[in-house]
Amino acid sequence: MQRLLQLFLVGVLFLIASERTRADESRSLRFEADVRPILKAHCWQCHGEEEDVKGGFDARLARLLLKGGESGPAIVPGQHTESLLYKRVVSGEMPPGKKQISAGEISLLARWIDSGAATARPEPETLLAREAFTEEERQHWSFQPIRRPTPPNVKQPGRLRTPVDAFLLARLESQGASFGPEADKRKWIRRLYFNLIGLPPAPDVVEAFVTAEFPDAHERLVDELLSSPRYGERWGRHWLDVTGYADSDGYTGADVVRKWAYKYRDYVIRSFNSDKAWSEFLVEQLAGDELLTPPYQDLTPEEADRLIATGFLRMGPDGTGGPNADQSVARNQVIAETIKIVSTSLLGLSVGCAQCHPHRYDPITHADYHRIRALLEPAYDWKSWRAPNARLVSQWPPDIRRRAVAVDKELQDISQQRNGELDALVRETLAQELAKLPAEIQSRAKAARETPAAKRNGEQQTLLKEYPFLSIGRDTIQQFVPDQVTMIAKKWDERTAAAKKKRPADDDVMCLSEVPGTVPSTLLFSRGDFNQPRQEIAPGELSVLNPPGFTILPNDPQLPTTGRRLAYARHLTSGRHPLVTRVLVNRFWMHHFGHGLVVTPTDFGMRSEGPSHPELLDWIAADFMRGGWELKRLHRMIVTAAVYRQVSTRRQELEAIDPENRLLGRMHVRRLEAETLRDSLLALGGQLSSKMYGDPVPVSPDVSGQGIILSVNRFNSAGQVVRGPTDLGEEVFRRTVYIQVRRSMPLGMLELFDLPAMTPNCERRASSTVAPQALLMMNNPLVVRETLAFATRVRREADAGLAAQFQLAWRLAFGRPPLAREVRAGVKFLNAQANAVRAASGKPETGTPDPATSSLAHLCQALLSSNAFLYVD
Amino acid sequence: MLHGTRRHFISQQVFGLGSLAMAWLLNQDNLLADPTKPELESRAFDLKPRPPVRAPQATAMISMFMQGGPSQVDLFDPKPELKRRHLQDYIGDIHYDAVGQASTKLFSGPWQFSKRGECGMELTELLPQMGRIADDICLIRSMHTGISGHEPSIRAMNTGRFLQGRPSLGSWLVYALGSENQDLPAFMVLRDPTGTPVLSVENWQNAWLPSIFQGTVVRPQEPRIANLDPPVSLRGATQRRILSYLQGINRDHFERHPGEHDLAARMQSYDMAARMQVAAKEALDISQETAWTHKLYGIDDAVTRDYGTRCLIARRLIERGVRFVQIFSGNQHWDHHSGIVKSLPEVCRKTDKPTAALVMDLKRRGLLDKTLVHWGGEMGRLPVIQNEKNIGRDHNGRGFSMWLAGGGVKAGWVHGATDEVGHKAVEDVVNHYDYHATLLYLFGLDSQQASFTRANGTGSLIDGQPGQVVAPILQHPPPLT
Repeated sequence: MQRLLQLFLVGVLFLIASERTRADESRSLRFEADVRPILKAHCWQCHGEEEDVKGGFDARLARLLLKGGESGPAIVPGQHTESLLYKRVVSGEMPPGKKQISAGEISLLARWIDSGAATARPEPETLLAREAFTEEERQHWSFQPIRRPTPPNVKQPGRLRTPVDAFLLARLESQGASFGPEADKRKWIRRLYFNLIGLPPAPDVVEAFVTAEFPDAHERLVDELLSSPRYGERWGRHWLDVTGYADSDGYTGADVVRKWAYKYRDYVIRSFNSDKAWSEFLVEQLAGDELLTPPYQDLTPEEADRLIATGFLRMGPDGTGGPNADQSVARNQVIAETIKIVSTSLLGLSVGCAQCHPHRYDPITHADYHRIRALLEPAYDWKSWRAPNARLVSQWPPDIRRRAVAVDKELQDISQQRNGELDALVRETLAQELAKLPAEIQSRAKAARETPAAKRNGEQQTLLKEYPFLSIGRDTIQQFVPDQVTMIAKKWDERTAAAKKKRPADDDVMCLSEVPGTVPSTLLFSRGDFNQPRQEIAPGELSVLNPPGFTILPNDPQLPTTGRRLAYARHLTSGRHPLVTRVLVNRFWMHHFGHGLVVTPTDFGMRSEGPSHPELLDWIAADFMRGGWELKRLHRMIVTAAVYRQVSTRRQELEAIDPENRLLGRMHVRRLEAETLRDSLLALGGQLSSKMYGDPVPVSPDVSGQGIILSVNRFNSAGQVVRGPTDLGEEVFRRTVYIQVRRSMPLGMLELFDLPAMTPNCERRASSTVAPQALLMMNNPLVVRETLAFATRVRREADAGLAAQFQLAWRLAFGRPPLAREVRAGVKFLNAQANAVRAASGKPETGTPDPATSSLAHLCQALLSSNAFLYVD
Repeated sequence: MLHGTRRHFISQQVFGLGSLAMAWLLNQDNLLADPTKPELESRAFDLKPRPPVRAPQATAMISMFMQGGPSQVDLFDPKPELKRRHLQDYIGDIHYDAVGQASTKLFSGPWQFSKRGECGMELTELLPQMGRIADDICLIRSMHTGISGHEPSIRAMNTGRFLQGRPSLGSWLVYALGSENQDLPAFMVLRDPTGTPVLSVENWQNAWLPSIFQGTVVRPQEPRIANLDPPVSLRGATQRRILSYLQGINRDHFERHPGEHDLAARMQSYDMAARMQVAAKEALDISQETAWTHKLYGIDDAVTRDYGTRCLIARRLIERGVRFVQIFSGNQHWDHHSGIVKSLPEVCRKTDKPTAALVMDLKRRGLLDKTLVHWGGEMGRLPVIQNEKNIGRDHNGRGFSMWLAGGGVKAGWVHGATDEVGHKAVEDVVNHYDYHATLLYLFGLDSQQASFTRANGTGSLIDGQPGQVVAPILQHPPPLT
C-alpha cells in the first residue's frame, strides 16, 4: 500500500515538479537536444561506449532505441508505458543500483516517446567514430567562431562611455531597467585603486582627483595606475591563482621547497607591467623552450624569460622528487595535474574528466584527452622521467660557469690527492704489518690480499679472517693509524671547504624542456590506467575544436625539439580559436566586477550556464585580439565605462528582476582579498616595502604554536627548533605576492581570508565571512602592530588636535572626509578611550605607547575592522 | 494525526527539552496558520533559534565524515560468499574508478566479524569499541550514490547533489534552524591535523545561502581558534569600547547598503567573536573534563589522542547548543587503494575508541536522544583487488555502509543489504537524496524551510530530486498520507 502511494506520488511529481519540463513544454522534444544528454549521462557507459554492449542494446541513436537489444525494442513511439526504456527506468531497474535519473528526466523521456520519438535530423547510417558528436554538441555556443557584433542601439545613448556599455545598457533597457546613478569620484577612485593595484589611495591623491577640473581626469588616473609597478603585483597574482603558483612541490607531506619558482612569479609580474601581448605571453608559457636552442646557455634576458615562462607547465604538484613516491603513479599525476591547469586556464573545459572515459557532459573523447597529453609527453616522458631537480637549467654566464668548472676541477684534484695520501698510508701500514708476520706466512698473506675477493681459495679466506689488517683500505685505515688519518682528513677537509667557498652560488631556472632527439609515444590508457596501454595517439587539438586541416606534426624537422607545444600555442593564439580569448577576457571581467559574464570561469562546456551577455563576451574577445592582445587597453575600456562608474546600491526595481546582479545594473560590493587586506594594513601603517622580485619571504611554523608566520626556523638533526625565528628585517613588510607559497603552510592571516589552497590551481576565490576573521582583526599581533604604526603615522602627519588626527585616519582608511557627526563620535571615542587607558595604567612601562597614541591606535583598529574599509563599493 | 505526533513528542520530552523543541510547541499553531513566506531580498538573517514546522526528533547533529571511503566489506558488511570466493575472478559488472591496477580477483580481508550487542549486529574485529555501541546505532548497509570519484561523491553526501557550488548540509541546518547558543558559531568544523579534507572549504561552504550560515573551522591544533585572546593592552572594557564604536560606524555604513547580507553577517561576526573570546575558550577547554572522560575518549593514548580530543570537543559544543558539528578524518585516511591490510587497522585504531566514546558519552548525558550522530564516508570500496602487488581496494559508490545514532533513529538496527559479495546495494537501497530527506524529516523541517529563493528559481537541499524518507530506520516514521 505504502509502495503504491509512493509510486503515485512519484507519478504526480513527474507531472508537476520536474526541473526542466515546464520551461520546455512550449517546444517539441528532439532526441539530440533533449533525450541524448540523459542517455549519455546514465546509459551509454554500458549501452554504447564499452567494447561489449550490454544486452546487445546500444542507446546512442534514436533508431538504435527503436531497434533495441536482446529484450526487444526499447521504445514504442507514442506509447511510453509500452516502452521498455521507460519501464526499466521508472521501475528503478535501470540504471543498475539505485536510479539517479531524476523525475524530471524520466518525465521528459516519456513525453518524447509520446510525441513520436522524433529526431532533429536524419541520423547517421553508421557510428564509425565511436564517440561521434551530435550537431547540438558541435553547435555549442563556446565552440563557435568569435564574431564581432555591432554594439546595439540604446534608448539613452547619453549614458554610454565605452562600447561595452551599449551591450549592458541595451539588455537592462529591454527589461525596463537602466544603469544605476554614477558613484561620486571618491568612491570611484577607491574602487579603481583596489581593483588595479590592490592598495588604498592616499588622501592627497583623492583630493587632487576630486578637485581636478580637466575632463579626462579619470583616464589620466587609470593610466597612472596602469603604469605603476604595483599593478603587475596585483594582476599578476590573479594569473598566479590560475596557474597554481607555489614555492613547494606538494604531493607529499615533505612538501619540498621549489627554490627557483619565484622566477616565474617575477616573470608574470614583469609581463603584466610591461603589458606583454597575451598572444606572446601564452606562447612563451606553453612553449618558450621551443623558441630557443638547447642546451639553453648564455641566454639574453629576453631568452631567459622564455625559458622561465615554461614554469607555467611546472606549477602543478610534483611528488616525483619526494621520498617513497610510487613513481609511475606520481609521474602520471604530474601530467594529469598539468593538463588540468592548462585546460581549465586556457580552454575553460574540464578536459581532465576525460582521463578515464569520454567526458560525461562535454564532447571530449577519451582519445582527445590523450591528444593533449601527447603535446606534453616529449617533455613529460613518464618512462624516462626527470625529477624536479634534474629539470633545473643553470643560468650561469660563461665566466661564472668557467669559475665553477675550475672549482669543480679543484675539488676533484683535492679528492684525488686525499685518496693518494690515504692509499700511500694503506700501503705503508700494510707493509709494516706484513713485516710483523712470521716470514713463512708473509708471501702467502700478500698473495691472499692481492687476489680478488671472488677468486680467493679457502686458505686465503682463512688468512684474511685471521689477519684483519690484510683487508684494510681507505675506509678502514682509520682503525690502524687513527692519528695520521685524522691529520690527512683535517688538511683536505680544510682545502675542500676553501675551494667550495669559491664556487659561485647556483642560479637555476625551473622550466619545462624536452630532451632533444627523443620522441616518446603516447598510448591511450584504457580507463586511465597506465597498466592498460592501447593504441598510439598523435598530438592534437580536442576534436570538437579542431579546424579542418589543422594537424600538429609529431616531430617538427625544423626544430631541435618536437615543436608540439609550440604548434599548439600558435594555434591557440592564432586569433581563430573560439575558447582562449573568451576564457581570458571573461576572467579579466570577473576580476573587475566580481563575477564573470560566464559565472564558471573554468567551465564553458555544455553544463555551464552560458554567458549573461553572449554578444558582449564576443565583442570584448574580438576587440582584445584586434587591439593586439593587450590587457591594459582592455582595462582602460572597462574601468572608464559607465557600468564601472555606477554605485553599488541595490534598487527595488532591479532586485525584482535581477537579484544576483547578472545584468550589472549596479556594481557589486566586494570584500578585500587576503593579499589586499594585508598589503593595505602595511601601507596605512606606512611600512609597506616597495622591494620587488627575488627570493620569497620565508614562512615556517611558529615555535609557540600560533600557526604559520614569516620566519626561518633553525632545526637540529632531530628536527627540533634549536633557535628561534631569524629576524627577517624589512622583508616582513613586503607585499604578500612575495611571500613564500608553501602548499602545506598557509600564512595564518591569509588562510583565514580565503587564500586558496593550490590543488592544483584556483579557478575562483571564495569570500567567506566567519567569526575567526573578526577575532583576527580584534586580537592578532600583526593587526595590533599595524594599527599602532598607523596611529603613530597619523600623529606624525596631522595637527595635534584630536579632530585633525581623527580626520586624517578616517580619510586614509576610507578615502573620504568624515561627516561632522562622525567627527564628533570619533573624538568622543578618542577622549573616552584615552581617559580610560590613562586611568587603567598606573605607572607607564617603558616602551608602551602613551594614552593618546594608544587610543588613536584603538580608533585605527576600529576603522580597519569596519565594513567601510574591508569592502569596496 | 498531528495531535498524535505532538502528544507522543511531549511524552518523550519530560526531561531536557531544548529551546528548539519548546519554540516549536509555542509556535506551531501560528506557523501552521501562517506558512513561511519566501525570503525578500531585504530580509535580515541571524542565528536565533527557529522552530521547525513539525515536531523535531533531532535538534543537533554530529557528523563524522570519514573521507576516502571506508571499506564496508571489511568493517560493516560481512560476506561469507566473498570469503568463499576469495581470490577467485569476479565476473559480474564492476565499475573501477579508472585508476590503475584494477583486478577482477575478489578479496576477503583477513579480519573476523562477530555478533555484537544484544541486537547481534555483525561488526569487524577492527572496530571492537564500536561493537560496544552496536545496540545504540542504526547501520545502513545499502548506501548508494552511483558515482565513485571523491569530489562528486563528497558533494552528493554533504551538499545533496554531485554538482559544484551548493550549500553544505550544516549550512542548511543552521539556515533553517539557527542555533541554541548565540556565543558560539552555529556550525563548526573540526579539521584533521594532517591537512584540509578533499574539496577543502567546499565541505562547509554556504554557497548561495547568506554567508552567516557557513561553517567555522576549528584549528586542528592549539590554539584551536586563533587570536582568541586579546593582547593585554586591549583586554576587557578597552576592547568593548572599540567594538561598540566599530558597530556604530558599521551600522551607519549598513544603512547606506541595504540588502547586503554579507555586511550584516560581518557585523554579527564581531558580536559573535567578542562572545567567543569567553565562550569558545570555555567550550574548547577539555581540561575541565575528568581524567575518566579523557581516558574514555582515548586522550591518554598517543594513537587516539587527536581524534579523541576532537570527539570530546564535538560533545562539548553540542552540549552548549551548537547546531551542527562536522568532524573530518584525515586527508583521505580511508582511501585504501593499496596496502589495506596494514593501513586499514591503523586508521581504525585511531578512530574506533573515540567514536564509541562519543556515542556512549552523549547517551550517558541524555544528549543522544536529540543529537543525531552520523559516521560514514562518501563511498565504500570494491570487493575486488586493486593492485595485486600491494593489495588495496578501489572506490565503490554503488554499495557502502554508514551508520546513524540517536536523534530519532532506531537503535541496534541494520537496514538494507548489498549483493552476495558486497559490491552493490540491492535491498532497501538508500541514496543521498533519501539520506537527506530523512535528515530533514528528523529535524522537523519541510521543503519550504530548507529552501532559498534564487534568481533562477528556488534552491534546496533536496532540489526536486526523488528523495524519500527512509521510514524503516526511524523510531517514529512519518504517517502514511
